[in-house]
Amino acid sequence: MIVRIKRGRFVRAGAVMTFIPRIPWRDRPLARFNAAIPRYQRALFYVLIAGIVVMAVFLVHERRVAHDRLAAHNDATPLAAPVSNGTESFTLDLASDIDGSITATQREIALPAEPSVRARALLERLIAEYSLPESSHPLASGAAVDDVFLLKLPIVVPQPASAAGSPVPEASDFDAAADPNRDDELAVINLRGGFVNDHPSGVEVETLTLLSMIGTLHANFPRITEVRFLVDGQPKETLAGHADLSRVYPVIDTTAAAGGAVR
Amino acid sequence: MLCAAAGLMAAIVASAQSPPTFNRDVVVLDPAHGGSDGGSRLSDHLEEKDVTLALAARVRSLLAVRGFSVVSTRQDDLAAHFGVPLSSDQRAETANRAHAVACIVLHASASGNGVYLGVSAIGSSLAAIPQNSRSASVGAKPVSWDLAQEIYVPQSLGLANEIGTAFSRANFPLAVGRVALRPLDNLMCPALSVEVGPLRGDGSDPTPVTDGDYQQRVAETIAGALIFWKNRAQPPASPAPPASGSGPGL
Repeated sequence: MIVRIKRGRFVRAGAVMTFIPRIPWRDRPLARFNAAIPRYQRALFYVLIAGIVVMAVFLVHERRVAHDRLAAHNDATPLAAPVSNGTESFTLDLASDIDGSITATQREIALPAEPSVRARALLERLIAEYSLPESSHPLASGAAVDDVFLLKLPIVVPQPASAAGSPVPEASDFDAAADPNRDDELAVINLRGGFVNDHPSGVEVETLTLLSMIGTLHANFPRITEVRFLVDGQPKETLAGHADLSRVYPVIDTTAAAGGAVR
Repeated sequence: MLCAAAGLMAAIVASAQSPPTFNRDVVVLDPAHGGSDGGSRLSDHLEEKDVTLALAARVRSLLAVRGFSVVSTRQDDLAAHFGVPLSSDQRAETANRAHAVACIVLHASASGNGVYLGVSAIGSSLAAIPQNSRSASVGAKPVSWDLAQEIYVPQSLGLANEIGTAFSRANFPLAVGRVALRPLDNLMCPALSVEVGPLRGDGSDPTPVTDGDYQQRVAETIAGALIFWKNRAQPPASPAPPASGSGPGL
């Protein structure tokens, strides 16, 4: 005969009352589970769980590091000066929406030596001035100029031999194209689409942005006599709906051309 | 026959060299943008095309009261239903047919301070370097379409001076400049762009361009200045001298 003893109760054993204690690992499910699995397997299980947590923390950390690294690559604004070049004094033609004027302002900037990169960096610096909180011609921050290409003037389109009439070009053709005494250059400024899309819209504000860029080139690059604007490598009719971008602008002193307030 | 041909040539040369004449009672208003071209966004629910249209309506009614005949390049935003805005060339074509004493291109902006008057950059140091410009024949002399405003620039500067003086007298913050703006360069009349921006006072909140009183003051200033301008640009014809009693046959 099998007698089932209920644990956690007093049981009469003859003339003596005996307390039969509970055994936790037998009465609770988890305890039963633990009791059913060997100890070495449970240890292995907990080691694996700890490994998963450590791997997750490591992956989150690595993701953050990779994000910072990519963000640093995307920010191509050349505001950080090359170490090898010292600072020089440059003139920035700064616009003001308050009175519609443009004022020549001196800044100490370190710029690269190569002319087209130098022009691009200078224009980026100019636009960066406008993204400062106290700017009187506020523009959105961020990279504005993708590239600046400098082309020697006059630009001669090469003619095919059949159209030119003679298989050998005349000497005068080369003379016109490569006049050693003429140093005039055309600057093609390729603006970023993001800068153009974020630019405030209006006749005055757009005109001042263009005049500011033209005047800054005039003050610092005497060889540049003409400017043409592109947006993401393509011609565009207007900057933000008003100022004409389809024309070739002469590079002039815009501090006088801007006009300004009449009071 | 030769005399007739020579006379005709002389008349053509004289007409080409004589100063341009206008319909002194006609003014062209061009409320900029329209249709799918909303212009600048002045607020979450307001675009520049709506403000320029409202401002043009105010100027038009004030000019009509003063005896002007007003030609508008657009009187509503019906083009919005079709989504195709008038091109700048179409606007210029409408304006050029009127031979108006003044062509006013109206703009509005959320930036700037007060009123900005723009005269075409043609003829200034900022003039575009000619590329492959289109041309149109006017009279005996072909005129480049991209430089159509060229011979009217002195009158346009005079118009800017007249309207600018009126704005200054009315105590509006004012700036004047040369602008590269279409269709200003294609207009064959004394032409001016008037951009109305918020009125920023000292320390107080700026008055937005949507303010009705502000728009009305701007419209009254423009309309008042045009009265003086039409007499200056083209004085009224002097009355015919009284007929003398001695006829040729008498």
